[in-house]
Amino acid sequence: MLDVITRNLPFLLAGLWTTIHLSIWTIVGGTLLGAVLGILRYVRFPVLGTASMLFIEFIRGTPLLVVLLITYFALPALLGYKTTAYNAALLGFILFTGAYIAEDFRAGLRSVRPGLIQAGLATGLTRWQVLRFVIAPQATRIVIPSLFNQYVRLLKFTSVASIIGVTELTGAALLINARDFHPVTLLGAVAVTYLVVCYALSMVGRVLYARFAVRT
Amino acid sequence: MSEAPIVEIRDLHKSYGATPVLRGCTMNVNRGEVVVVCGPSGSGKSTLIKCVNGLERYQSGSIKVEGIEVGAKDTDLPKLRSRIGMVFQHFELYPHMSVLKNLELAQVHVLKRSRAEAAERGRQLLKRVGLEAKADAMPVDLSGGQQQRVAIARALALDPQAILFDEPTSALDPEMIHEVLQVMTELATEGMTMMVVTHEMGFARRVANRVVFMDAGEIVENAGSEEFFSRPRTPRATEFLSKILSH
Ligand SMILES: Nc1ncnc2c1ncn2[C@@H]1O[C@H](COP(=O)(O)OP(=O)(O)OP(=O)(O)O)[C@@H](O)[C@H]1O
Ligand SMILES: [Mg+2]
Repeated sequence: MLDVITRNLPFLLAGLWTTIHLSIWTIVGGTLLGAVLGILRYVRFPVLGTASMLFIEFIRGTPLLVVLLITYFALPALLGYKTTAYNAALLGFILFTGAYIAEDFRAGLRSVRPGLIQAGLATGLTRWQVLRFVIAPQATRIVIPSLFNQYVRLLKFTSVASIIGVTELTGAALLINARDFHPVTLLGAVAVTYLVVCYALSMVGRVLYARFAVRT
Repeated sequence: MSEAPIVEIRDLHKSYGATPVLRGCTMNVNRGEVVVVCGPSGSGKSTLIKCVNGLERYQSGSIKVEGIEVGAKDTDLPKLRSRIGMVFQHFELYPHMSVLKNLELAQVHVLKRSRAEAAERGRQLLKRVGLEAKADAMPVDLSGGQQQRVAIARALALDPQAILFDEPTSALDPEMIHEVLQVMTELATEGMTMMVVTHEMGFARRVANRVVFMDAGEIVENAGSEEFFSRPRTPRATEFLSKILSH
């Protein structure tokens, strides 16, 4: 029964490794994108603030699979560049996750008390300095739990990349299954693996939050 | 001697939408003076004091701080604000920074002092408000009275020409009011220019040079504190005083 796993272990592990680095790069890129968009929204930066809002609304109203199809087929056709399934998936996940993270950041920034902002301004700090030294550091700590929520969601969403041909964990299992047909064992193992990795990731989030939370 | 006032407010009008909040206020704060602003809730005291350092905008009239029009387009507000300290009702210490870092922030980023200089000045001021032992504590671990004393030290750290106080003791438990008023009294004695919104009539009587009484967005009385308490001229001030002094 389990020998379908052991026989194909290197291939499955390669798939898991793809899932992991795809997730890590998305977390890095999506968090940066989300921070930038969230700040532009928060400060209502002229033009770019509105553009961020439209982008966020667009992404949030579009199914993830459609986003990946856009970054795999439509964007390269439209802009005339070549891409790989992996890079298209990475771009799609960054855009997708970034849009959600932007809203988390904005909510975090907005949760900082107006009185603290006035206190910063009253000492002669500029608006940008207040954002940088007073608001952003608190917001960053406040959003840690929601960020890790997004990261865990994303980690599971990376399985959708198998549809455009990325051989991440799910994709690898599907390929093996097409040849050996052991759906219960293969998908069971895949599900348990996601569970374990997601659990580990959310534990990291909890530890960071416990370490950095602002007590008030 | 006729030195220009530090704060000069002329016929100031402000409204939120259609609601007028300040209706033609005129007053000065001279160098070295302690002016207490009092009046019923909603009379516009916070709004007035926040107009002084440009935290609130006004529609007409004029406020000059050290001769500079606060509302003028080309006024360097950060610079103006760095010369006027402010202390708030709810302390507003930065909760993610230690007490000392709270005192350093604007020194470093506004006055461009070095970290070491800022820390040195910060410790001096903590000592002055009796909290040198709390330099590395987080604000949340201090009592309300201690937090407010840190907030006063934070304002002092910029060596301001004047300090604005907006009800600095109203969020405090009674037993902590005294320690904050004590620090404020010392500042006054040393000649600090202060504009203080407060309901502490004892402090006003002992420490203030003048009392400004506001009601419904107007300055109803502006008198020497002795005169204000012994001979209020308007029925509104008389009523306010009898209410506030009766408990
Ligand atoms: N942001 C705002 N929008 C609309 N109205 C406001 C706003 N801030 C204050 N007001 C109104 O302006 C009036 C004056 O408010 P202000 O806070 O200056 O009064 P105050 O004298 O400081 O009162 P308190 O003693 O309660 O602090 C009040 O009627 C208040 O409801
Ligand atoms: Mg008030």
